[in-house]
Amino acid sequence: MSAIPLSHILILACTLFTIGFIGVIVRKNTLFILMSLEVMLNAVGVAFIGAGSVWQQADGQVMFILILTLAAAEVALGLALLIQMQRRFNSLDIDLLSKLKG
Amino acid sequence: MNQLMFFSLSPLLIVSFGTVLSLLLIAWRRSQKLILVFSLIIFSVAFICCCSLIVNLADPVQITQLIKVDNYAIFAFMMVLVASMVVALLSSSWLTHSVEVHDEFYILLQLVVLGAGILVASDHFASLFLGFELLSISLVGMVGYSRDNQYSVESSFKYLILSASASSFMLLGIAFIYSQSGSLSFASDLFAMEHVANEGSNQFYHAGLLLFLVGIAFKLSLAPFHLWTPDVYQGAPTPVTLLLATVSKVAMFIILMKFWFSQSAFLTTENSMTSVGNLISTFAILSMLIGNALALKQQNIKRLLAYSSIAHMGYLLIVLMIVFPQGMDLAWQSVLFYLCAYVLATLSLFMALQLSQAKGVEMDMHVSDWQGMFWHSRLLALLIITAILSLAGIPLTMGFIGKFYILNVAVQAQQWWLIASLIIGSGIGLFYYLRIIFVLFEGVNEGENSSGLSFTISPSAKVAAVLSIATGLVLGVFPDFLTKLIFIL
Repeated sequence: MSAIPLSHILILACTLFTIGFIGVIVRKNTLFILMSLEVMLNAVGVAFIGAGSVWQQADGQVMFILILTLAAAEVALGLALLIQMQRRFNSLDIDLLSKLKG
Repeated sequence: MNQLMFFSLSPLLIVSFGTVLSLLLIAWRRSQKLILVFSLIIFSVAFICCCSLIVNLADPVQITQLIKVDNYAIFAFMMVLVASMVVALLSSSWLTHSVEVHDEFYILLQLVVLGAGILVASDHFASLFLGFELLSISLVGMVGYSRDNQYSVESSFKYLILSASASSFMLLGIAFIYSQSGSLSFASDLFAMEHVANEGSNQFYHAGLLLFLVGIAFKLSLAPFHLWTPDVYQGAPTPVTLLLATVSKVAMFIILMKFWFSQSAFLTTENSMTSVGNLISTFAILSMLIGNALALKQQNIKRLLAYSSIAHMGYLLIVLMIVFPQGMDLAWQSVLFYLCAYVLATLSLFMALQLSQAKGVEMDMHVSDWQGMFWHSRLLALLIITAILSLAGIPLTMGFIGKFYILNVAVQAQQWWLIASLIIGSGIGLFYYLRIIFVLFEGVNEGENSSGLSFTISPSAKVAAVLSIATGLVLGVFPDFLTKLIFIL
């Protein structure tokens, strides 16, 4: 099995990251924004694991576990806020959150 | 782990142990007074530890690869602790309005302090990441804490989404740097850079550096990434805004300095210094001009302070532009002095804001609400005036000395564009800062009933107000006390 070059891994991670970022910007539903954030974080995970395997170190995988923890914490907060929003506005449309201006 | 390591890590250990203990305390008895006193005890014990460390610690102590405790980090952590003690005291008066017991708020506060402590002491991307996330995720929880506030969902959602995207940008940057250098610690990047430089220009490394700086710039709310700042400041409860403005900014700036100076020895000899350096000076110039210009028209006090904090972070960035390693000590001293002045002024302003807010109502405070305050509550008005003068950089206050330091660094680095925009920015700043002072002295309208205007200030708040006025003035007239302390470091 021939080794995959590092640049391919990084380009894959970049593509995934861009897809996630476009999702965050374009989506109107808050739930989908949170999901796109997860895509972004997992893209970073791919980059870390690829880099770790190229350097033959465990650091990349350790960082990935830390990222997983972060993603879980973030989703917990995000869903709590989502429930509050659903209760208050009866909708998950992000455009409703536009009172603060100036 | 020898005794020295244990000793130098003690402030962080105390705060983290204290957090666990306060969880146990909540399981035993839910009482707001108890947890308030307990968190104050934790913070003050950690503060005392920091004091003894600063006197006794001569050289930086490296604790595993992850953490490096040096005197600058300890000094910054002391600032964080003082700011969070004030936050704890202010929030106790704010939280008593509702019936619930608010233990979680103090746990979140302790976690923020722990995150800031890890961040300022970190010497490795993994610990940087841990501290960064501990700080920002707890802050999201605190921003959305008050459920009855109409803005809470909006501001916390904005903060959550934007800070999560910023931290994934930063993480992608770290992943790129790691993929090229093969090491996650700041210091050993130096060897890797040599290796990278030999291979010719490396796009992934530079892209990584760029993405990393974007993540940090978001947290410091530097100009192209500042859009969240006023909204979150306005929507968050006042003590939390204070936390955002002081603790998070201080910790982020210190880690940026640490990262920058561990790299710059190599970056100067290379072309990349000019491109990354240009990026930093663009951030600085944009923040100074945009922050000050947008603050001009603001009527809401919190939004005004948000824009002014953007400008202040822009001033501080100038320090990163030193090009020779001998200037590093001076740069650290000026940053620490400036941050001290900024934290003290921000603390006093938010203290005044919280005290003058009508009880039980979380409403938007406008500059006109402070009209004529000098005539009915002198102490509060004096507190505001000294803080505003310090932020504007008028002589005899700490802010002037801080700005003087920064100008000194900028002249040594021969950054004329940065100096020009610093002067223009401060000029614009005077306009809106002085407007607040004029408002304070305006007469009260007789038509309005002034019963809502007389604030009841508790004795402890009075002591705190007098203390911060006195510190600001004494250190402004005799800056030697503080500079001598910082020079020892």
